[in-house]
Amino acid sequence: MDPIIVALAKAAGLEKALAEFPEDVAAAAAQALNNAGAVRYPTNPAAEPWPPMRAGIGL
Amino acid sequence: MSTALHWMSAGEIAQAYAAKTLSPVELVTALLARIEALEPKLHAFIRLDAEGALMAAKAAEAEIAAGRPRGPLHGVPVGIKDIIDVAGLPTTGHSKILIDNMATADSVVTGRLRQAGAIIMGKLSTHEFAIGGPSFDLPWPAARNPWNPDHHPGGSSSGSGAGVAGGFFPLALGTDTGGSVRNPASACGIVGLKPTYGLVSRRGVFPLSFTLDHVGPMTRTVADNALLLDAIAGYDPADPGSNATPARNFGALLDRGVRDLRIGFVRHFHEQDLPAHPEVAANLEDVARVLQAEGAQISTVSMPDLNEFAGINRVILCSEAWSIHGPWLRERPGDYGQLARRRLLPGAFMTAGDYVGAQRRRLEMIAAVEDLLKSYDVLMCASSMDPSSRIEDAAETARTYSRQARTPFNVTGHPAVAMMSGLASTGLPTSVQFVGRYFDEATVLRVASAYERATGWHKKKPPIA
Repeated sequence: MDPIIVALAKAAGLEKALAEFPEDVAAAAAQALNNAGAVRYPTNPAAEPWPPMRAGIGL
Repeated sequence: MSTALHWMSAGEIAQAYAAKTLSPVELVTALLARIEALEPKLHAFIRLDAEGALMAAKAAEAEIAAGRPRGPLHGVPVGIKDIIDVAGLPTTGHSKILIDNMATADSVVTGRLRQAGAIIMGKLSTHEFAIGGPSFDLPWPAARNPWNPDHHPGGSSSGSGAGVAGGFFPLALGTDTGGSVRNPASACGIVGLKPTYGLVSRRGVFPLSFTLDHVGPMTRTVADNALLLDAIAGYDPADPGSNATPARNFGALLDRGVRDLRIGFVRHFHEQDLPAHPEVAANLEDVARVLQAEGAQISTVSMPDLNEFAGINRVILCSEAWSIHGPWLRERPGDYGQLARRRLLPGAFMTAGDYVGAQRRRLEMIAAVEDLLKSYDVLMCASSMDPSSRIEDAAETARTYSRQARTPFNVTGHPAVAMMSGLASTGLPTSVQFVGRYFDEATVLRVASAYERATGWHKKKPPIA
């Protein structure tokens, strides 16, 4: 497995999953990394996320 | 009585109770017999609560006989997806992780159903934690499709779809994070509505993705869908996503027809973005022809690319789900089935930037759909691009599962209903989806009702005994 994936998995606390299910960890990492081109992230620096922070609402 | 008891709609059941031609105990007894006979083929239940259902039926019978009917769902059986709490029954999420997780209180939706007098039949199969399935390495079997038990009933609300379509109960609750009410509705030929985000409380429902999760009604008819939504919708101050909307009669427009309604047909979803199975595409064109003949104005419209909606949904879902499942995935990875493990682990590799970026793009996608809905009353598009796969064909299930047009409306939060559009040559249902403005479920169901009336697909029953 790519040592970077191993390092990221360990940083996420997935030592046990790495030992017992290395193929699942590798497949999950590949899926996450393949998302890079799936979303056209906004180029406008002021584009806000959704849902917004709304003080006092939903408490 | 003209309709077999197990195919009666909630509306017909209420009429029969009022006319004293049927009693809740008689109905529940008949349904339990059907479940006993067919459950070994369909596996809709994680936990059948026959005793509780009969007790509730006796209580409903006594109240109705005493002249104290509670409303249209009084004495009507309902199944509950097993990520939704029902006090006194386990909420397992179809997972070994929560195998002993006894619910000590009702979810808000369960409480509302009890208040309406509905009879809870039990807890229903789901893909593990509403994400991993169909799986064959879990403590309970995967649900099967009543139209052909060799096929997948869709998911993740798989037991809800199988049980409603199989005549186990007329009503069920499902949940929908990336299409999980509408997928089984599509695969099983029933009606599944994902309401507007915030219309139905999620309190007491095991979360998958906080900003994408919805609870929705699954039924055999559009009118029943409106009745079930009437019962479960409403503001919940303890659900941070709940929206303070006035009480509504979601079935108020069912008889109005579609004359002069402006319907935008999002053809590129199934023609370009994810080209559909030819029979699915042909049946969608038939839907458009039927609605046009009923007086609707159908126009081809354009939305952002379906694949980008799917990408946004995936990043948000995986990130939020990782924040829920991370501790168990670290300590007990072997207690998940492989599919859930593989679908939940990607969240460990996504960055905060991925997540916030997806949420920022989400607002632009919402704006695009809102803009379209200024000119159109309802949008129409594909739901599933293929009839359901053989359940044991893992490769075909993996190929077809993501070929769908449901995630856009989890991302945007608009109400969307999926229903049967016909049958493929294999005898399996195909589907269509109608989408409306925020909190305008009544108009979405109005279109669905007009289509149901014009075609009568809801009268077609699966060939299961």
